[in-house]
Amino acid sequence: MKILVFEDQKVKQLYPLTYLRPVWELRCGAGTILDRIKRLFPKNEFLFWTRPELVPLYRRKSGKPVNETKALPGKESLMLLNGRWLPAPGEFVPSKKEERVLCGETLLYAHLAAEKVNEEDDLCSLLKKTEDLPPKEVQARMINYPWDLVRYNAEALKEDFSLLGKRGVKGKMAPESIIYGPEDNLYIAPGAEVHPMVVLDTKGGPVIIAEGAKVFPFTRIEGPSYIGPNCQIVGGKIREGCSFGPECRVGGEVEETIIQGYSNKYHDGFLGHAYVGEWVNLGALTTNSDLKNDYSTVSVYCGGQLIDTGEIKVGSFIGDHTKTSIGTLLNTGTVIGMMCNVLGVGVLLPKYLPSFAWFISGKVLKGFGLKNQIQTAVAAMSRRNVQLLPEEEALLAQIYEATKEERAEAIAKSRG
Amino acid sequence: MENIAERVKAVVARQLKVDPSKVRDESDFVKDLGAESIQSLELVAAFEEEFGIQMDEEAALSVKTVKGAVDFIAEAIKKQKG
Repeated sequence: MKILVFEDQKVKQLYPLTYLRPVWELRCGAGTILDRIKRLFPKNEFLFWTRPELVPLYRRKSGKPVNETKALPGKESLMLLNGRWLPAPGEFVPSKKEERVLCGETLLYAHLAAEKVNEEDDLCSLLKKTEDLPPKEVQARMINYPWDLVRYNAEALKEDFSLLGKRGVKGKMAPESIIYGPEDNLYIAPGAEVHPMVVLDTKGGPVIIAEGAKVFPFTRIEGPSYIGPNCQIVGGKIREGCSFGPECRVGGEVEETIIQGYSNKYHDGFLGHAYVGEWVNLGALTTNSDLKNDYSTVSVYCGGQLIDTGEIKVGSFIGDHTKTSIGTLLNTGTVIGMMCNVLGVGVLLPKYLPSFAWFISGKVLKGFGLKNQIQTAVAAMSRRNVQLLPEEEALLAQIYEATKEERAEAIAKSRG
Repeated sequence: MENIAERVKAVVARQLKVDPSKVRDESDFVKDLGAESIQSLELVAAFEEEFGIQMDEEAALSVKTVKGAVDFIAEAIKKQKG
């Protein structure tokens, strides 16, 4: 069976996090949604179907067939799998027969016989073919909005720890550091280092420290948490439910937060119930609120609409390449687009800042323009020996154009 | 054009908090008037608001002097307002 992981229309509800990546590349637990799917299907061949504008970049980054009709047919049957689904271990038991499985009105997965798939097919025609199959309804964890990733993160971390099956200290752990809780709830990968005066609190869940990561003195990490490859935790409180992708620098107080990777939150300041993209830099004392003073549910802007999350604790959602100044204060449920520059000293930000906008002295401004912001991205990425790909640059230009109108609206609104 | 120049100078003096008499045609925003990079963004926003025009940020930020700004804005008004 080949597996075609696809995106549906709802991925736009996950902007700005999905501007530069397909939804299955978002993190939840000790990896991305795709990592989890691959752990459940280690032997299957994977194909992908994403938004047209993402195809060149994702083809280059994944090295796999993306929106390639010729790769679809073959001797094996084809499983269409929704990339917004976060399957739990044991939940996904596909039948050998053709089938169509729904969660509400959303297709979770469908299994088509090999003879039904041909070279003229695309995602649309394949989905059409599945409509003839009798539907089976199930309950499932769908990633409908950015806060769903944060909500499911702690339980996904526990599941991933079991799926990975790795335990113990394989890297270095200074004798002056302690494991506070069950020792078999810890995995320190080879090449990882835990310095003296570190507390790894495994009472509430597992702590996973990936290869090459360093945990510096005066850090407390509470499980369940995942510290990604080559991360540096530079002191502070990493509370339960945190997942950091590769190469992050994290300090201060962080709780129930996902960082995609390559981002810095080096200094003091609180980040809670947040999702931060790649190449983000949060200046010292940047702090987000994740709880309203009246304990009511938090509303968040998604696709131009204010949506009640139904959750009492919701932090910020910050797009790739965004920077905040020292002392920035983020309101509960704030969404900041990608490539924004926020100088939020002494004033609360608006609840939504469109991509590429700047926020200075309480006003939304245009910023230095795309060329300048791309130069900044190149400089930031080169510090970690990563190149901005031409496909990435082309996509940034497209997003810049696509978000022009909402930027102009935000600027006009801020002028009053 | 004279009116545009006067309004440009008034915006510059107000935004950069400098004595209006020091804002001359040949004044360089950075070297003579001490504009920080962030202030230049605020200046562009203030010009847009004052004249009711849209300015391309990269082109606008390449303007170095008060006279350059006056010419740039006059051109933008001509294009956008006829």
